[in-house]
Amino acid sequence: MPFRLLVPLGLLCSLPPPHLGAPGPDGSAPDPAHYRERVKAMFYHAYDSYLENAFPYDELRPLTCDGHDTWGSFSLTLIDALDTLLILGNVSEFQRVVEVLQDNLDFDIDVNASVFETNIRVVGGLLSAHLLSKKAGVEVEAGWPCSGPLLRMAEEAARKLLPAFQTPTGMPYGTVNLLHGVNPGETPVTCTAGIGTFIVEFATLSSLTGDPVFEDVARVALMRLWESRSDIGLVGNHIDVLTGKWVAQDAGIGAGVDSYFEYLVKGAILLQDKKLMAMFLEYNKAIRNYTRFDDWYLWVQMYKGTVSMPVFQSLEAYWPGLQSLIGDIDNAMRTFLNYYTVWKQFGGLPEFYNIPQGYTVEKREGYPLRPELIESAMYLYRATGDPTLLELGRDAVESIEKISKVECGFATIKDLRDHKLDNRMESFFLAETVKYLYLLFDPTNFIHNNGSTFDAVITPYGECILGAGGYIFNTEAHPIDPAALHCCRRLKEEQWEVEGLMKEFYSLKQGRSRFQKTTMSSGPWEPPARPGTFSSPENHDGVREKKPAKRGIPLLSCPSQPFTSKLALLGQVFLDSS
Amino acid sequence: MRRPRRRRRQRQQQRRQQQRRRRGGGWRRRPSGLRLPQPGAGQSVLGGPVPSRTARGLPHGAPAPGAARRGLGARLRAAPRLQVHLQVLFVAINCWWNQGRCRKKKHFFYFPVIYLYHRSFGPIEYKGPMSAVYIEKFVRRVMKPLQYIPSQSELLDFLSNYEPGVLGYFEFSGSPQPPGYVTFFSSALHSLKKDYLRTVRFGVITNKHLAKLVSLVHSGSVYLHRHFNTSLVFPREVLNYTAENICKWALENQQTLLRWLRPHGGKSLLLNNELKKGPALFLFIPFNPLAESHPLIDEITEVALEYNNCHGDQVVERLLQHLRRVDTPVVKSLASEPPIQLLDPPLITASPCCNTVVLPQWHSISRTHNVCELCVNQTAVGIRLSSVSVPQCSFLEMAAALDSFYLKEQAFYHVSDSMECSNFLSSYSPFSYYTACCRTMNRGMAGFIDSEPDVFKSPSIAFSSLEKECEVDIPSSVPHIEENRRVFPEVDMNSTNFTGLSCRTNKTLNLYLLDSNLFWLYAERLGAPSTSQVKEFAAIVDVKEESHYILDPKQALMKFTLESFIQNFSILYSPLKRHLIGSDSAQFPSQHLITEVTTDTFWEIVLQKQDVLLLYYAQWCGFCSSLNHVFIQLARLLPTDTFTVARIDVSQNDLPWEFMVDRLPTVLFFPCNRKDLSVKYPEDLPITLPNLLKFILHHSDPAFIPQNLANPPTKECLQREAVLQQHISHLEREIQKLRAEINTLLRAQMQVEAQLSSARRDEHRLLLQQQTLKKQHSLLQLHTEQLQILYEQKTRELEEVAQKLQELADASENLLTENSWLKILVATMERKLESKDGAENLNAPEEEAHSDYPEPSGSPRLPGSTPPPANISSPLAAERSNESRTD
Repeated sequence: MPFRLLVPLGLLCSLPPPHLGAPGPDGSAPDPAHYRERVKAMFYHAYDSYLENAFPYDELRPLTCDGHDTWGSFSLTLIDALDTLLILGNVSEFQRVVEVLQDNLDFDIDVNASVFETNIRVVGGLLSAHLLSKKAGVEVEAGWPCSGPLLRMAEEAARKLLPAFQTPTGMPYGTVNLLHGVNPGETPVTCTAGIGTFIVEFATLSSLTGDPVFEDVARVALMRLWESRSDIGLVGNHIDVLTGKWVAQDAGIGAGVDSYFEYLVKGAILLQDKKLMAMFLEYNKAIRNYTRFDDWYLWVQMYKGTVSMPVFQSLEAYWPGLQSLIGDIDNAMRTFLNYYTVWKQFGGLPEFYNIPQGYTVEKREGYPLRPELIESAMYLYRATGDPTLLELGRDAVESIEKISKVECGFATIKDLRDHKLDNRMESFFLAETVKYLYLLFDPTNFIHNNGSTFDAVITPYGECILGAGGYIFNTEAHPIDPAALHCCRRLKEEQWEVEGLMKEFYSLKQGRSRFQKTTMSSGPWEPPARPGTFSSPENHDGVREKKPAKRGIPLLSCPSQPFTSKLALLGQVFLDSS
Repeated sequence: MRRPRRRRRQRQQQRRQQQRRRRGGGWRRRPSGLRLPQPGAGQSVLGGPVPSRTARGLPHGAPAPGAARRGLGARLRAAPRLQVHLQVLFVAINCWWNQGRCRKKKHFFYFPVIYLYHRSFGPIEYKGPMSAVYIEKFVRRVMKPLQYIPSQSELLDFLSNYEPGVLGYFEFSGSPQPPGYVTFFSSALHSLKKDYLRTVRFGVITNKHLAKLVSLVHSGSVYLHRHFNTSLVFPREVLNYTAENICKWALENQQTLLRWLRPHGGKSLLLNNELKKGPALFLFIPFNPLAESHPLIDEITEVALEYNNCHGDQVVERLLQHLRRVDTPVVKSLASEPPIQLLDPPLITASPCCNTVVLPQWHSISRTHNVCELCVNQTAVGIRLSSVSVPQCSFLEMAAALDSFYLKEQAFYHVSDSMECSNFLSSYSPFSYYTACCRTMNRGMAGFIDSEPDVFKSPSIAFSSLEKECEVDIPSSVPHIEENRRVFPEVDMNSTNFTGLSCRTNKTLNLYLLDSNLFWLYAERLGAPSTSQVKEFAAIVDVKEESHYILDPKQALMKFTLESFIQNFSILYSPLKRHLIGSDSAQFPSQHLITEVTTDTFWEIVLQKQDVLLLYYAQWCGFCSSLNHVFIQLARLLPTDTFTVARIDVSQNDLPWEFMVDRLPTVLFFPCNRKDLSVKYPEDLPITLPNLLKFILHHSDPAFIPQNLANPPTKECLQREAVLQQHISHLEREIQKLRAEINTLLRAQMQVEAQLSSARRDEHRLLLQQQTLKKQHSLLQLHTEQLQILYEQKTRELEEVAQKLQELADASENLLTENSWLKILVATMERKLESKDGAENLNAPEEEAHSDYPEPSGSPRLPGSTPPPANISSPLAAERSNESRTD
């Protein structure tokens, strides 16, 4: 027996197993509690350095330990990091920062600001801080959540952006001067995302304040984009807002377009709006047909559908997360696993990755600590519980700490090939990257609330149920509570209607049902026959012709998962049999 | 700065290892038990992505970018450190460092990458799990790719293994390296490149007689054993005898009985492809690749062989016997050439019929042991059956055995710490006896973990070997009566049924093994308990039927349970029930506003009680979670004691087909007493509070009519009262809510009023300010006018003054000229006077001459009638210059 030889060897193997802090792919997932603490430490390292070295500038420069203004002069990092503070559980600092912002923030400044960035970072940040302020123990005024100082600040900031929307097409300029409006001679070329990334913040503003102007301009811009799509159903990268002509005709899901698609889905969920969802589903079909190859998404010419750039951009990594929101989990997981291999290759996601060559693209080797892949991991972990996703989180924490941590914060990685650094820490690092990492490792965070807890808030407009989960993150990771929108729409009529129905309900129980039945028979309950009686938003005019084909599949719903999803773990993917 | 330091550390490490290697000294020696020449073995040098010439060791690849694989190094160091390092050098290379040679040479897509450099073969990449035991196993396999088979029993061992085997026959009598041996050797290494765990094993026979058993006659011929199809001999005449070809041929023609599934963690279609082939039996067992023997796998192999043995093949029978540890002389060729009836079918002792009993806690034995294997042991003396290899088991026997077990529990004797065995006489038949072996289930606690110290004391092994003891050895030590076995025909029927079952059913199973140390997560997803200490689990997954069935986790995974599990699956009206996964209902508080339904509580909550509105949702579905607040509002409105608002997370909870939905969110209404009439909320209707209420109202109304009519009036009254009470309480709640609302409204009003008054005050103040400002303004205007006038006046005055000044200036100019003339005149006059005086004093002619002298022209008194005389011009000039100097 030659194998007998091994017996003594094996017995020598009997030393105790080494204890490992962060186990690998041998079956045991990374320990969430450990990484939660690490992420927290990361946040405070960066946040404290910002306060110490850079406040009140927009952003921190981590290599020189000072600050500079980047997107305006709003103390941007502070606004962006505000709700992250609460998610990490730091109530007192949240309250302090709210005070600071109320005293210091001024939008009457002669600054040229990006309409898109100001909206997602400033308006979005202030809105979410406003909606979370009660949870953070800030004393709110009686009209909350439909009024409040932070809401007024958000509204003021948004009003400064409105002049950009005054174009012949209704699509906004890219830049606006906060004091003077659109500068004469401003370029009319705006990227697609810069046109279609307003509905979440602006509809929230309109619902909360009651002023419909915000939602209206956002919807007009969305409609114009929808009408500008090509015959094969794709949109390009940049468009002239005066003429409506496409200037850059690359179609894809990444830079320049990304959050447009994101906001179609999130807008549909937030507003229960079938029209937005129908638009997205149409785009989704075209994207699958023309840009998807082997679960990668390439760039194609928007009119012909021919591949123009076989490139993966790190901004595209939000896509799996978006897919998981609408229940397309197996596709999402397949794409995610592709993207994860790129991370494994470099320890980060290069801005551009050439798929056929399997390497970075010239001048696009940096990784500015973007959150998109982690965002997708968070959504997918919620859906599948696959430890592979925690492994990505672990890799991200280790990479960022190892490569980009410097004395004064975390520096953008200029080149992933040699880990050179850049003197910049974008505000989205604290707003998004850290937040999504923390939420990935904290499945019981209030943000993940599944409706088992809630707050009942009495407002002058009636009782509202808030904080019941289902938070929608804007594209800068600022959570919006959909219940608050519903709450502030002042549905007095709905309340009276509900009262009437309750009365009927009880009288029914009292056995007077026969009488009730006769009254009801006069108008039998047939929803399609009398749609006017229900408070349904009007839908389907944009996609009316498609409606009969889609009959049977409600737009605002997810498919339930196939049987194989039970085993779609640890890298295993399944091809749908259909 | 960090990287060079790391390099230095690596170099040091290398040096240390080299030293150790030198000290160890024995690394060039072949292991003593090995008589087989293994070219390059022993001196196999394993290296990283460094030139293999220089004999470097096994790398741990590079630290992942950003060292994401923290702890990996430690694990690997801990891994095959022990004996292997004497023969293998381990080297870690930072292949990420962008100045390094490795980075320039290699282009890796992931880290860590592990290469094993074999001296005579070159690099072999390890792609297996990052687990010490697996890596060590790999290293050992590379070091010894061929297995030497010296005897019959070894041959049987080799062939009866579940993994396919390739045998080469080489005669070493002639030369130390017979022709073709090196090629065969490297083909074995080659196969390791293809699959790191080598599912195809390579063995070498040197004995002519042994070779004949597998129908190999010529030295250098290669044989591929297949359990069911005809085994093959490498066709030298068709294919070139090269390492690649042998390896390819073996891999292409191999036949796997049991397949290991080892997902590598990256994106893969492995399960997809395997499950598409048909229903699959997944067997999760804790696997230690380094263990000497795997009794559980042997048992499973036995099941697999029997299951697939459709034609009663003799070879298979022989192997089965061997697996059952029955050593009988090999009398026939094992090659599956013309099957010849065995002349002397071996005497088979009946395999025990065993069952596992989980003892209830109150039982006396269960205080120490809670699982017992209960076996019916009978010796078949003088009875020969054609189908001898089947365990005989009947429920009758088992029941009897169980009874006697409970009766005689005190008779246990100690075998080891974890196990006790006992034998009993059968109560109904004095001629057979039972064996009971009890063990504690916490054996898994010591479990098999990477580089676990006592891998060879691995509990499952301990158990199995002891089990053997119970079955084989103990009967001899414990007196019992042996008798002819009782034959139950129906039992025979049952058990023979299993042999070759795979060919007789249209639900043929593929059998798969998964290492539960690595892939227990899949087992959990299929319904295995996550807290289980014994990580053994079996499940049949049928993707086409979208169903899966599990072997009751309370039952131990063993031959008997497995066979009945497979049989139950295969028969036409399968008694197996589709296993429904559900979340633990205990985690949800029962007194919750919205009742959380799980698989277990579905029947009780939804189908038993009052009117139920059930929401199907999933946490990840954006459309569901954004409606949470609507359902919470609804649940707060409706009385909880007569109406249930419930929801079920269908991504966590399976339901019977008839209750499943295919879109989320879906709302179903289950009316009281007519659960069969469940109604679906219309899909195209927005889910809002009034709509939901209307839906409920519409569908729940007739529910009470028959009931009310049937009830006696008093009861009706009571009921009515109860309902009224509910309504009242509802209204009270509403009133409270309204009061609260009014309060907030009042507060808001106060706030608004305060704001209004302050605004008004502000306005007033502003007005006042405006007025004062206006006044000030008009005053200022007046001032301005006055100032304007003043200014003009002053300007005029100034002009006048200027004019006067001008005049004055002119006048003074004239005066100045006059003055100078006068001065000249005066001077002239004076000189004249002087000269006159002189002339008067001197002479007259001089006087005459002076009379011609002209007077200065500027003199007012004497207008220039007479020009001054030329001879006095120079003193005059001197005079002038004096004057101008004094000026």
